Parts: sequence; C-alpha cells; structure tokens
Amino acid sequence: MRNPLIKRIPKELASDWHKYLVIILFMVIMIGVISGMYVGHDSMLASVAEGRVELKLEDGSFELSDKASPELIEAISTGEMADVRQYFIDEGMKEAKEEVDKAAEDALNEQVTAAIEAQVRAGCEEYGITDEDMIQAQIDAAMEEGFEVALEEARESDEYKDALAEAYDEAYDEVVKAVDEEWDDIAEEYKLNEEGFVPVTVTLYENFYRNEEEDYDNDGTSDATVRVFSSAKEVDLASFLEGEAPDADDEIAIDRMHADNTGVKVGDTITVGGKEFKVVGLLSYVDYLTLHESNTDMMFDAFGFDVAMVTPEAFDSLNARVHYNYAFMYDVKPEDKIEQADWSERFMKSLVTQTLVADNEIKDYLPEYLRQASNFAPSDIEGDSAGTSIFCYILIGVIAFIFAITISNTIDKEASVIGTLRASGYSRGELVVHYMSMPLIVTLIGAVIGNILGYTLFRNTAVFLYYNSYSLPSCELVWSETALIKTTVIPLLLMFFINLFVIVRKLRLSPLKFLRHDLTKTKRAKARRIPAWSFMNRFRLRIMFQNMPNYAILIFGVVFIQIMLCFAFGMPDSLTYYSKKAPEMVFADYQYMLMGYKDEDGNIIETAEPSAEKFSSTNLMYPKATTSMREGMGSGGDESVTVYGIIDGSQYVDIPADLEEGHVYISTAFAAKFDLKTGDTITLNEEYENKSYEFTVDGITDYDGGIAVFMDNDRFNEVFGRKSGEFSGYFSKKEITDIDEQDIAVVITTEDISKVTNQLMHSMGNFIKIFKYALIVLAAALIYLLAKIIIERNERSISMVKILGFKNGEIGALYILPTAMIVTVFSVLGFFAGYFAMLWIFKAFLLQMDGYFAFHMEPLSAVLSVVYLLLGYLFVSVIDYIRIKKIPMDEALKNVE
Amino acid sequence: MEERFLEISDLKKSFGSGEARQEVLRGMDFTVKKGEFCVLLGPSGSGKSTLLNIIGGIDTPDSGYVSINGDKLEDMDEKQLTIYRRKHLGYVFQMYNLIPNLNVKENIEVGAYLSDSPLDVEEVITTLGLQDHKYKYPNQLSGGQQQRVSIGRAVVKNPDILMCDEPTGALDYKTSKEILALIEDCNSKYGSTIIMVTHNEAIKYMADHVIKLRDGVVRHNDINDKKIPASELEW
Repeated sequence: MRNPLIKRIPKELASDWHKYLVIILFMVIMIGVISGMYVGHDSMLASVAEGRVELKLEDGSFELSDKASPELIEAISTGEMADVRQYFIDEGMKEAKEEVDKAAEDALNEQVTAAIEAQVRAGCEEYGITDEDMIQAQIDAAMEEGFEVALEEARESDEYKDALAEAYDEAYDEVVKAVDEEWDDIAEEYKLNEEGFVPVTVTLYENFYRNEEEDYDNDGTSDATVRVFSSAKEVDLASFLEGEAPDADDEIAIDRMHADNTGVKVGDTITVGGKEFKVVGLLSYVDYLTLHESNTDMMFDAFGFDVAMVTPEAFDSLNARVHYNYAFMYDVKPEDKIEQADWSERFMKSLVTQTLVADNEIKDYLPEYLRQASNFAPSDIEGDSAGTSIFCYILIGVIAFIFAITISNTIDKEASVIGTLRASGYSRGELVVHYMSMPLIVTLIGAVIGNILGYTLFRNTAVFLYYNSYSLPSCELVWSETALIKTTVIPLLLMFFINLFVIVRKLRLSPLKFLRHDLTKTKRAKARRIPAWSFMNRFRLRIMFQNMPNYAILIFGVVFIQIMLCFAFGMPDSLTYYSKKAPEMVFADYQYMLMGYKDEDGNIIETAEPSAEKFSSTNLMYPKATTSMREGMGSGGDESVTVYGIIDGSQYVDIPADLEEGHVYISTAFAAKFDLKTGDTITLNEEYENKSYEFTVDGITDYDGGIAVFMDNDRFNEVFGRKSGEFSGYFSKKEITDIDEQDIAVVITTEDISKVTNQLMHSMGNFIKIFKYALIVLAAALIYLLAKIIIERNERSISMVKILGFKNGEIGALYILPTAMIVTVFSVLGFFAGYFAMLWIFKAFLLQMDGYFAFHMEPLSAVLSVVYLLLGYLFVSVIDYIRIKKIPMDEALKNVE
Repeated sequence: MEERFLEISDLKKSFGSGEARQEVLRGMDFTVKKGEFCVLLGPSGSGKSTLLNIIGGIDTPDSGYVSINGDKLEDMDEKQLTIYRRKHLGYVFQMYNLIPNLNVKENIEVGAYLSDSPLDVEEVITTLGLQDHKYKYPNQLSGGQQQRVSIGRAVVKNPDILMCDEPTGALDYKTSKEILALIEDCNSKYGSTIIMVTHNEAIKYMADHVIKLRDGVVRHNDINDKKIPASELEW
C-alpha cells in the first residue's frame, strides 16, 4: 500500500496554489535563466569550436612588407630555417665584389693608361719629338684610338683574371671572417643556435586586406575603419547570419555586430573607400569574433571598426594599400597549449630567416592562440557563468530556507497530528520523507519547466546577449550536461539538504511533545522583559520577538537583494562615471607614441607645438599575489604596468624633480588596486626577459587612467639602458601636425578611452536592464513569501484579536508594521552592506583583469535601489493587508484543546 | 483470555526536580489479559494519561517496567518502540487529530498503511456508520463524526491493544454513548484489548477490568463480572 500521506501533496499544492505558484515561478525563472545561459553558452562555444574547423581558422598569421614570391612561400611552408650565414656571406660578398671589381677596374685603367702613355713616349723619343704639347696630343690621340681595345685585351689576360680571382678569394675570406666574428650576435638575434631544430611544416594562405574608410550613413565623413577581404580567400572564412556573400562588384557583406551597432541593414548602401557598395550580407569572420582592430587593443570596438567581404574584382578596385597578410595552418595540429607555443616559436624562426634571405620584411606576426579577436569572446563566455550560478545557488538556498521555515511552521501547526501519527507507529523517517517531498517536488517541477524554457526561450535570450556583445557565428542547440547538473541536480541537492537539516531537527522531538504542543527544546525561564511602552507597541514588540527566525530569513533576503540591486545600479553608474571621467584620466588630450626618437635621417623628432612635452614609457609586469581564475591574454597572470619617464617641471604629471635613485611615484589606480602605500617596495619584471627592477614608492600621483609608475626621464633612460636624451613620444594639448605620420606609432586620445566604456555599456546595458527589473520582481516575490509566512504563523492570533474586537487597521498595524519597519531598516543597512560588498567584489574581480576602475554609485541610484525594494514591499503589504482581512474569526476557535 | 498479556510492574514516574518535583506514578502494579476491556479511572492528576503514554511507548518510566507478551518496553530502542506501536497499538485521543487535507477514507487509510494485516477500510467505514461521509474533509464533520474517524484510523490497523485517552471528553452525552458502543464493538468484533483512560465513573460498568488510580497508585483493581452494554450506560 502506498503511503496515504502522499495524497496530501496535490491537495496542499491546490489549496495554497498562489504561494507555490510564486515559488515555482521563481524557480522556473531562476533555473530557466541559468539553464538558458549554460545551454546558450555551451551551444555558442560548440559552434565557435566547430567554426574553427569548418571555417578554417588559421593557426597564426604574419604580414610582409611586400608580396611573397612563390619561392619564399614554398620556403616558409617547409618550416626549415634559411641558411642565414650564407645569406650574410652572400650579402657581404655582394658588397665586397663591388669593391673588388671597382678596385680592379681602377687598377686596370691605370695600368692601360700608363702602358699607352709609355708606348707613345717611346715612339716620340724614337722620332726625336721633345715638345711636351705634341707628346701629350699624341698620347690623347692614342688613348682615344686604342684605350678600349687595350683595356679589353688586358681584361682578357690570364694575369688579370688570376689577380681578380685572388682578390675575390681574399674578399670572401674576409667576409666570412667578419660574419663569423659577428655570428654570435646574429645567432642570438635570430635564435639560430638551438640544437636539434625540428621544422614545423605549414600551409600558407593569402589573407590580404585593405583598411578602408567606411561611411555607413553616406554623409561624406568617415565613420569607421573597415578591413576589407576578398571573397576568394581560402582561410579564415565567414559564417553568414543574414543575406549572402557578395556576387557583384558593387556588393559587400559586413560584420553582423558592427551592422547592429550602427543600424546598417541588408539592402542598405554604404560607402567604402569612396565607392558605394550595397550591403548583401551580414557575416561573422571566424578570426574576428570580436572586432579588435589591433591585437594590443584593450577592448574591441564594434562601432569604429568593421570587417567586410567584397568580390576579388572589387577588392582590386579599392585604393588603400594592400596588407600582405598571410595565414598559416600547421599540417599537423598541435595537441595542447605547450605545443602551440613551442610550434609557434619554431615556425617563427623559419619565417624570420626565410623572409630575411628573401629580402622581404615581417611587419606583424601573431600566432592564433594569442589572437584577441578570435579568443576574447570564447574566453569571456567561458568565464561568464560562474558568477551567475553562484547567484542562482544563493537564491535557491533562500527558497530552500523559505520552504524549511514554511514546513517548520506547518509542523508546529500539525503538532497534534504528528504526535498521533508517531504514537500510532509512523516512524520519524516516514514523516521526514513526507515533509521533504513538497520542496523536492516543487523544485523538480521548477527544474523541469525551467529547463524546458532554458532550452527554448532563455537559451535564445542568452544567445541574443552573446550576439549583442560579440560577432559570433550562427549556432545550433546542443545538450548541456553542465546545465543539467547546475540547474537540476545542485538545486535539488540544496533543497534536499537544507530541508533535511531543518525537518530532521524539528521532528527529533518525542511523540508526546508533539501531542502536548511542547515544541521548544529549551524553555525560557522567564518571559522577556520589555520597556514600559504603550500596549500596542509592547504587543508589536512581542510579535517581533516571537517571529525572530522568520525575520532573520527576511533580513537575509532583503540584504541579499540589496547587494544585487547595488550591482545592477552601480555597474552602469561606474561605466558612465568612468566614461565621463575619461577625459580627465588621460594626462594629455593627445599622447603620441613615436616609432623611435629619431627619424630616418637620424634627426631627433621635434615639434613646434608649444604644449608638446617629451616623455618616455615602457611596459613591465607586476606580479599579482592572487591566482587567476582564467587563462589567456589580458585575463590574468601579471599586471601590465606602464612606466613613464617624465621631464623636469612637467605640465602633465606632477612628480618632484629630486626623486632619489630607485624611488618612484605611482598612479592612484595602481595604489588602489594593490593597496600600495608610500614607502612600499614594488618589484617589476620584464615580460620576456629574466630581469627585475625594484622601486620604492615615494608618493602617489592622481591618475586613475591606468596602472602606472613615474620617474624622471633622465633616470628612466639610465634605468632602462637608453641613450641620454632619448624619449618615446609627446604629450600634447593640441593635435601635432608637424611630425611625419610614418614616425608616429600610435596616438591615444580621450576618445580611445571612452570607446572601451561605450563598448562595455553596449554589451552589458541590456543585460543589466533585464537584471534590474528581474531583481525587483525577485525582491517582491521573496518578501511576499516571507511576509506570508509571518501572517500564516499568526493566523490564529490574528483571528483571536479579531474576535476580541480589534479592527483590521489595528491588526495591520500590529502585524504588518513590524515587517515594514524591518524591511525599511534593513533595506537601508542592506544598501550599505551592498555598496561595500560591491567595492570589495569589484576590486577582487579587477584583480583578475588588467587595468582598474573603481566601483561608483550615483546618490540617485543609491536612493533608487532602496526605493525599488520598498516599492516591491509596498505591493506585498497591500496583499498582506487583504490576507489579514480575509482571516476568518472561527480560525481561533477551531480544534481548540 | 490469556493471562498477563500486559504487565505493569512497580512503575514510577516523576516530573520536575527539587521542590517542583512531582511524583505522578508512585509504584504501580497490575496486569491486563488479552482481549480485556480495561478502564483506567481516576481524577485529574491521578497519573492515568501518563500511565497510558508509558504503556503506549511514547513516554518512559523512571523505574519499573511495562511488558507486552513478555517483551519489556525498556529493552526496546526507539526504532523497536516505533515498530511496537506500529504493529500492536491503536490510539484514540480526546482530540481527534485528523489530517485536515485528507478526507475520511484517506484518514482511515493512514492507519491501514501501518499494518501488515489491516481490516478492510470500507468495512470499517460501514461499521463506524461513516459511509455517507467518506469523501468529506474533517472540517465538514461534527465532533462525534471526527472521533469516529479517529477510532476508524486506530482500529483499521487491527491492533492488539487500542489505547483510548478520554475519547469522549469533548463529546456530548448521546455522542459519547455512540462512541463507547463503537469501541465496545471493536473489542468484541476484532478482539482488541482496550485500555481506556477516563474520569467518567459510569464507563466502568461496560469494562471487564476497572483500575482506579489516585495520587499515582492503584487504589482499586477490580474485575467486573456484570458488565453492561454501552447503550445502557447512564450518567
């Protein structure tokens, strides 16, 4: 026979349907969102992984200054290193041969001239001619007539040939000697000394592009840089999310996310490189999942940068210079990251040497595993979910406690029945199972519906959020075990153990105690004394004391939600604040980084711009004490620190002129991120060399724009072994127009800083908005459940005071007001807890990342975060009041013992 | 009838400590035969409910023992006690303690579930005269009807002993007599040993065995040879 108690479950579900509806909805949304996130996340990662193979993602790429010859391509493909020694000898011989030839020619000329002159003079002497003018005239005539023939004869002479060969041999020996003398340096430079070099064979593909100006609104001004590829390329292919590849010469397909951001649609016309193109497709290139224009960009920029595809003919018709970019793919794929790094290094040796001997030049080299544009999105998607699932578990935990309290109240209410059942022979285990079944069934219902929604609606939302952030390929639904474990197994376990703990404790009492309604384990010796307030206040205080455990959960819920609200309000605030402060955060409106401090002719690069000021900079690494949760570029490991050399009396950075050796100033951001103080010692390391520098912090200068260290420029040159007077670039208040563009490596303006925050705002904005509203609903639902428990627990007392003649308003004041006071007080306290928690969480989070910006919350947001919660409560208290009104008076008279 | 089916020997129980210490049972001895209708009679505070609880295995004595069929309760751990209650006992309280969201039939099934050889639920419902109410919920029943359900829940187990703690305490005269008649029926029809705690002197006339308690000791231990049916009781 099945336990008849099981029949209570559907009846209880039906009788208290609104409570369970709220709980199930709550669970469905929570579990649905998390499941959707995981499924979306797994689908996205699966499609990215699939795309890497199907769309032939490169294993790396390099750019040459000139188009590679077929020989060079073949040579690079072998993976073999070129014979650099022979190259240098050949190069040396070229020069030496020129010199030898010139010397031999000069000597021959001299000899032939001397021979002709001697011959003429001998003839003149024979004929007795002594007049020097006449002799000279004879010589000139003879020279004119016979010089070339004589010269040719002399060249053909064995004597000359032998001498020349001897000179060549001598020159060769000298060149070889010179190359060998410098061989160690050359070998070091090209890392040629490795023993047992094993070549990595690759296949090369042309992946040429042009960086054109894009004018998407056709107003005549350039809006973005578009990197145009030919549709004929065979590597780093694109997936089309809408439309198709260009077919005609006036058609173009552009990046889907850039199109979304700028409002361009299929069918629109845009201007690229001065030519009009019709947009026929929106695509995602497998090597541009995020629109990083350069691999050193801190953030991608889907507004100001675009990638596009045109027909080969259209590609040829564009004007910007062609970037001779080649993608390579290993013939055998590396198995892991270590192999990736090792193979990349070996391939680079081949590339460097082969390019060198082919008289070409490498402009850029980037192995794929370091490529931001193809790794940033998957690595970011991977990192995304941890925080959300913790958030989910905390909420499920809260629900579990709500359940536990509800059940604990039910047990109190049903004490006599439980006592009777236990006395009749029901075991404690049977009752535990009975009371456990409701939360588990509800969780299971929530999990099943949640997962169904997760695989459909919420998965699409998650995928939409990813699409909103990254230029991802189209993706198909995949089954996610992680989703099942995290959204079903873990919530069920949480629900199981929390409820088990509470119910087992509660049912530990003897049947007799249940029969006697004697449910407290320890008896309070005396009634709690309370101040001599008015009767109503004392009554209210008693109610509060009596409901302490319920209020404890209520307080926890309120504080938890307030922390979440602080995040939801503070995150966009911080970004806006950072964006607004960006102009103040840069030292100068313009920061010009030069290619070198001297131009091609060796002259120091100067400018007439009066506000320009020289500075030096280099990047070092600051070791983080914490271990990183994530791997990959810019996501952990050491912090990149910019070290600046500042000239005396700088108008941009305020540091004292007389800093001692080894003493520096650091930026406020550096100090804040790593809790550094004046007097602390910091050790900075070179990234690729085993070299460290130790500095003492002498002071902190107000600069929030980056993790930076400042010292005197002369000292900088000394420390980093640079020449006296050397510098890296100029700070300037105005644009500098008199420096040749070729000499400028990069210009950083305030816009570059805001572009980061704009992109973040765009990517996260929608998510935060949804999150904010979800939180308000969540807050209301939580408070609803908790307030309901308090009213339910007091139903009989409420019914009794009704019988005694208390009005509904008075009862409301007795039972709702304490809850209202607690919610209000703890909303405010919760705000502070939330604010400080966010400061801490933000800092801990940023420790995992490079760079720094502090958590910021506007006063209005602070007020709103509390008001939102209270609005949620106001709604609940109206329901509570109605609930109190509905409690019948005979409730108190039922089953009285 | 089997001799010494239930044996109570020198049972002592006190509550509180120091000055507040109150001895409720002060050395109680008696035996009950199998199938006997035994009434424990006494005023409030005489220790009759405590005694019943100890016999029911939901309370423990300070000293002395209770044995059923030769098995001492003091030798049983909690699990064995639960099995003991499950296999041998049925409980009827003054308050009916029905499960509010189960109907009459289901409430009786709650008892049936516990037994290896339960009586037929429908038959018990008919015996109790509840056939017209079997799909009603407890709050749709009168007190007497609720107590019938609670008796049904206890007897459906076909228990060796039916423990009744003031089963008519909350009922009127007429309903009380109906309930007593039902208990009497169970005793004769199913052969259950009945141990009923009451302060109603009139009930002793329907019992086989009357034990009068006062101040924690047995004052009278009488066998009633002239028992009369419950329907003829007057008070």
